[in-house]
Amino acid sequence: MKTAAKKVRQTGALLLCTTFLLLAACGGGGSQAATGEPYDENSKATISWLNILHTASPPTDTILNKIEEKTNADIQFSWIPDASKEERINTSLASDSLADVVTLTLLDNSSVRNSLKSGLFWEVEPYLNDYPNLAKISEDTRRSASIGGKLYGVPFQKDLARNGVTIRKDWLDKLGLEAPQTTDELMEVARAFTEDDPDGNGKDDTTGFVDRSDLVYGAFKTLSSYFGTPNIWQVSEDGKMTPEFMTDSYVKTMDYMKALYEKGYINQDFAVTAKTDQQQKFAQGRAGIYVGAIFDSKNLLNMAKGLQDDMELVLVNDITSTGNEADRAIWAANNGIGGLLAFPRSEVKDEAELKRILKFVNDLMDEESYALMTYGIEGTHYTVDDQDAVTITDTDLWQQEVQPFAASRPKESGYAIHDADPLKQESDKLIADNAKYAVLNPAYSLESETYNTQGSELQKMIMDATYKYILGELDRAGFDAAVESWKNAGGATIISEYEAAYKESKS
Amino acid sequence: MAKPVNVSDTSLLKLDRQAVRKSRFGLRKHMLLYLMILPGFLYFVIFKYFPMGGLIIAFQDYQPYRGILDSPWVGFKHFIRLFTEPTFFMLLRNTLVLFAMNIVFFFPLPILIALMLNEVRHKFFKGAIQTIIYIPHFMSWVIIVSISYVFMTVDGGVLNELLAAVGLPKISFLTSPEWLRTVYIGQIIWKELGWSTIIYLAAITVVDTQLYEAAEMDGAGRLRKTWHVTLPAIRPVIITLLILKIGSTLDLGFEHMYLLLNSLNREVAEIFDTYIYTAGLKNGQLSYSTTVGLFKGVVGLVLVMLSNRLAKKMGEDGVY
Repeated sequence: MKTAAKKVRQTGALLLCTTFLLLAACGGGGSQAATGEPYDENSKATISWLNILHTASPPTDTILNKIEEKTNADIQFSWIPDASKEERINTSLASDSLADVVTLTLLDNSSVRNSLKSGLFWEVEPYLNDYPNLAKISEDTRRSASIGGKLYGVPFQKDLARNGVTIRKDWLDKLGLEAPQTTDELMEVARAFTEDDPDGNGKDDTTGFVDRSDLVYGAFKTLSSYFGTPNIWQVSEDGKMTPEFMTDSYVKTMDYMKALYEKGYINQDFAVTAKTDQQQKFAQGRAGIYVGAIFDSKNLLNMAKGLQDDMELVLVNDITSTGNEADRAIWAANNGIGGLLAFPRSEVKDEAELKRILKFVNDLMDEESYALMTYGIEGTHYTVDDQDAVTITDTDLWQQEVQPFAASRPKESGYAIHDADPLKQESDKLIADNAKYAVLNPAYSLESETYNTQGSELQKMIMDATYKYILGELDRAGFDAAVESWKNAGGATIISEYEAAYKESKS
Repeated sequence: MAKPVNVSDTSLLKLDRQAVRKSRFGLRKHMLLYLMILPGFLYFVIFKYFPMGGLIIAFQDYQPYRGILDSPWVGFKHFIRLFTEPTFFMLLRNTLVLFAMNIVFFFPLPILIALMLNEVRHKFFKGAIQTIIYIPHFMSWVIIVSISYVFMTVDGGVLNELLAAVGLPKISFLTSPEWLRTVYIGQIIWKELGWSTIIYLAAITVVDTQLYEAAEMDGAGRLRKTWHVTLPAIRPVIITLLILKIGSTLDLGFEHMYLLLNSLNREVAEIFDTYIYTAGLKNGQLSYSTTVGLFKGVVGLVLVMLSNRLAKKMGEDGVY
């Protein structure tokens, strides 16, 4: 009897201890040492950074240590995977668990916008001109990155328009075809790649296009630019706003995709294909046309090593539906703004601290930091010739240690150091070339309350209808009906709100 | 944990009754038992009841930087929006249909498998089967949906290649609204079937063997024994699990459906969970998504109470 009771007592005590231990463990972590003393410009700073990770795993410390040395700072990263950035950033904002530096890439997200407008972050414009690199941020960039006329962070300066078409050159040569200049020629290439056995294995195992379930960064939006579709919104002379999907060229693009799908010139499951699967298929030689970011070409070629060693690629960025140079156009993602590096007032307590952090961001834009974050360490990751051309020597190591930093560079072009790889050079050239034809979204910095709250719900209606039209489940009347219900569910309000905001911005 | 004390120490029990008369909860006498309850109690208070306070924001236009205290009150605005939203009935229909399919097609299966396993006499064989059917439970939905993708895609998927090989047309399992529910339930069965048998198997082991012997004396065969002894014996367990299942009617699981959802099957695949994710977390409408969540919870509560009452009417114990 006694022993049983004792045993129970002991077990109970043990259980309790464990629970309290667990509770205690959970309670830790939240505290952060706050330093009150004013910052000296050149003092060593401790900077926490809530940052977006575009690769599968976070980088090792090799490059980080070098950057810390260079910027005289102790950097603590909290990485958020790109795929879950919306929810993670939103919950961080909602629970006020931010860092000294926060990478905000979704400026059209309503809660990001609201918190920016509410003054949660420092307004930085008055300070920018005190720093050599930050002062060079152009007026255009500052304006497009502003919300309600105020700049709440250092804008990421990205290339304006990065999309184009990547085609198997060896297949073109084999079939005696030229790189296409018009959408019709592109269709013909797609046909030939599908039907004329471009890999010469005697089997019907190739398609023209390989696309993924993404109407924006996949093929659709880039093709739509070739047909002359506006970038999300179009504004007329008299200030009337039209969404892209109410234009004829949008319908033409859908018809084009529909033809590709029906004739089998595109992978039949593109509506459910993920980006990695899409790139794999291309690398395995199952398709010959890839529409997306032009710089993906280098990656595609890398992936094809050992699978398709004959692969040669040609990059095309001058396709139009008419063949007229004057009609060239390419959409600019977020008008070339990659987001903001923002500094929350709750973490960055005073002006002195802000100034120190801005100095840090400024230092990140130096040529030396750029080289570190782009190519890595000379001798370890790359070699450089006297023309400043870089060759990556250890790709695996580079992918592991350097690549994760690429998306954190506040500025991505305008440096002397460059890649020696011809494909990369070519894609850099074409992307620079694209800027001349870039189509901007006139509503990007305008406000619409309805868009902020219901925008993505409404966008889903159009996205669904577009897919259904392409796959032949909706006809034109059905698509128009979807547009009509978009208008009734709040779309019409968005249009009028944007028109009002546009008018205001012009007056 | 508490059992050995109560059963073994009858004298203690008598003393208890006196103590109860003194203080209603017998705090001092049962100090130890209360202490043992404490962690679980704290768990529920801290992680379940305390956060319920946050439901208040369903009646506000909650803005994080203002906090709960300063956010403006808007009454039933978000509820009105939810019920007048054109998608509301679609969400409700999809959720209820999937729930009904879950009950009809999935719920009886583990019982069946458990009964069958119970009849297996070969110990090693039984153990092997159990282990094999438990394994899928430990895989995440991401893996299961990815495997299904490889099997069911129209571009070189195994299933479709088989269909094509026997001369049938390919079926786009992944994008057609007609197949979504079948695929969804099929995946649930594949993943959870084995794991769900555990409770039934445990219930079956405690069935009094004398009953079987008596049934044998009366000339009952295996089927008869199963029907007249095993099933009635585990009936309370079945009823309890059914009621619990009904309680989570609208909780179909976000992750699974989110992975299956795409533009072409949205009309049947969008459920409350995925809707909360897009409206709440992605669009940042915290108040509105709280409203949807609250609605979900209330419906679940009502259903549990109804089914519990029904169970009691039918002479069963119910869950409370």
